[in-house]
Amino acid sequence: MGPDELRIVLFTLEMAATATLVVLVPGVAAAFFLAGYRGLGKTALETLLTLPLVLPPTAVGLLLLEILGRNRPPGGWLAAHGVEVVFTWKAVVVATAVMSFPLLVRSARTAFEEVDPRLVGLARTLGCGPAAAFFRVSLPLAWRGVVAGTVLAFSRALGEFGATIMVAGNIPGRTQTLALAIFHDTQMGRDARAATLAAVTVALAFATLWVTEWLFRRRARGEAA
Amino acid sequence: MSVEIDLTLPLARFALRVRETLPAGVTAVLGPSGAGKTSLLESVAGLRRAANGRIAVDGQPLLDTARGVALPPEKRRVGYVPQDSGLFPHLSVLGNVRFGAHADERAVGAAIDTLEIRPLLARRPATLSGGERQRVALARALATRPRLLLLDEPLAALDVRLRERVLPWLLRVRDEWALPCLYVTHNVGEALAAAAHAIMLREGRVESTGEPRAILGGLASEAEEGIENLLPGQVVSHDEASGITRVSTASGLDVAVTLTPENPVGSAVTLAVRAEDVLVAVAPVVGLSARNVYAGRVLSIERTGVDVTLRCALEPGGVEVLARITPAAVVALGLQPGGPVWLAVKSHSISLLGAAVRG
Repeated sequence: MGPDELRIVLFTLEMAATATLVVLVPGVAAAFFLAGYRGLGKTALETLLTLPLVLPPTAVGLLLLEILGRNRPPGGWLAAHGVEVVFTWKAVVVATAVMSFPLLVRSARTAFEEVDPRLVGLARTLGCGPAAAFFRVSLPLAWRGVVAGTVLAFSRALGEFGATIMVAGNIPGRTQTLALAIFHDTQMGRDARAATLAAVTVALAFATLWVTEWLFRRRARGEAA
Repeated sequence: MSVEIDLTLPLARFALRVRETLPAGVTAVLGPSGAGKTSLLESVAGLRRAANGRIAVDGQPLLDTARGVALPPEKRRVGYVPQDSGLFPHLSVLGNVRFGAHADERAVGAAIDTLEIRPLLARRPATLSGGERQRVALARALATRPRLLLLDEPLAALDVRLRERVLPWLLRVRDEWALPCLYVTHNVGEALAAAAHAIMLREGRVESTGEPRAILGGLASEAEEGIENLLPGQVVSHDEASGITRVSTASGLDVAVTLTPENPVGSAVTLAVRAEDVLVAVAPVVGLSARNVYAGRVLSIERTGVDVTLRCALEPGGVEVLARITPAAVVALGLQPGGPVWLAVKSHSISLLGAAVRG
């Protein structure tokens, strides 16, 4: 593996980490909101948030291209303020973030739903405002689901292909992530390089999931003691 | 110290409607399951947003919907202890007790000392026994220096033996912290032992209110749950050698119970005996290990479910005692209303419910 390949790996990690950071706060907030929301349109809202999971990523990518392209208000407005998104690294972040978001929300929402609402009520009677009750009771009790969701989101971001290639293109050195590079190399007949990069993705995904498992086990033992 | 409640809360089957001014001290909230007891506590705690009306502690309103006042739970300073203790599983005992205390270490220390949980501080809630959990939950509520305590069946999740061990802590909190307290319970004995005042809820309405003994008179003979026989009395002596505490009841019975030196001689107590723990004989009893044997007469024999409830009057003072036996026993013993009967109770079957009702 040469410096070129290493750069692709680092770029991919950087993009996935950025996308995960971007979705973390809104994802946890959305999960918490949905877990407690009983009002109108709950199902519609949940369906909408899950949609990117089941749509072809290329369709999501196309939609993002429409939104972020210069011809439409959001993209046009951004361009007018000097922010180019499409076919830059920012597009990679946006595409992977959108695709990872539902995974984080689903996992964290289940965890928040399992927190006994009476414990939150008790925290309130003990002097916590809603925000303090969230940080001192809901989040610590749901942390496994939140961490699991974050890891899933990160892993998904590492391997995202369809949406990324639509909005960010496949520009070596600028927007080319591991997934895109593997596809590109195979197309160009560089099978050995493709295989190397594929092996790297396997190693990365394995390491991420393994570290999470290990973390859970260690905490589980600590809590039982 | 008084608590004014004038409350309406729509519930699924009926509306909770309570209008009461509670005196200082402990008020027992009684009534069948689903009568709205927990909803009442949650409304006072501020956990029911639909609650409408006025709730005030010492004249300070927690809720006054007419004036647009509805303090959020965190501003009400009420200590809430639910049936299952509701300890935070991710925190140690100390973390739980400190949770709401805002670094008020004196209050934390006082709460820890009152409930004697210092040896438990480093433990996790999952490793505590049921009784220990309830003590920690009480300490956690007290450490916030509440103006009002809300206890929602704090002993119901415990078995009978544990209840007797935890009840004294509750009485200690009542006496040392002198807080107004709403105490939801199903247990007649607990209500009599802890409360000076009681309200009976049924279908969301206050059915009766007043001194617990007056309210419970009917319920006790219904013999639905809890302890059927409750006899007020006074501790006469403790004998460590024989392991016996002697109690003289108001009706003139001399009763031997297991040694309870924590109730000083002369203190008022309530004896509680379950109807199924009363043995019935039709001849004078000899050679029995049960310490308490009394002669009396059968007043009535009533079928209650699969069992028979025997109402008997004991000779000294004519005090009424309920005994529960099988229909087969009635036939075998040839029991008849008006006939003579001897009742026996083991010392171990009698619970001593701490300091008695205060006026």
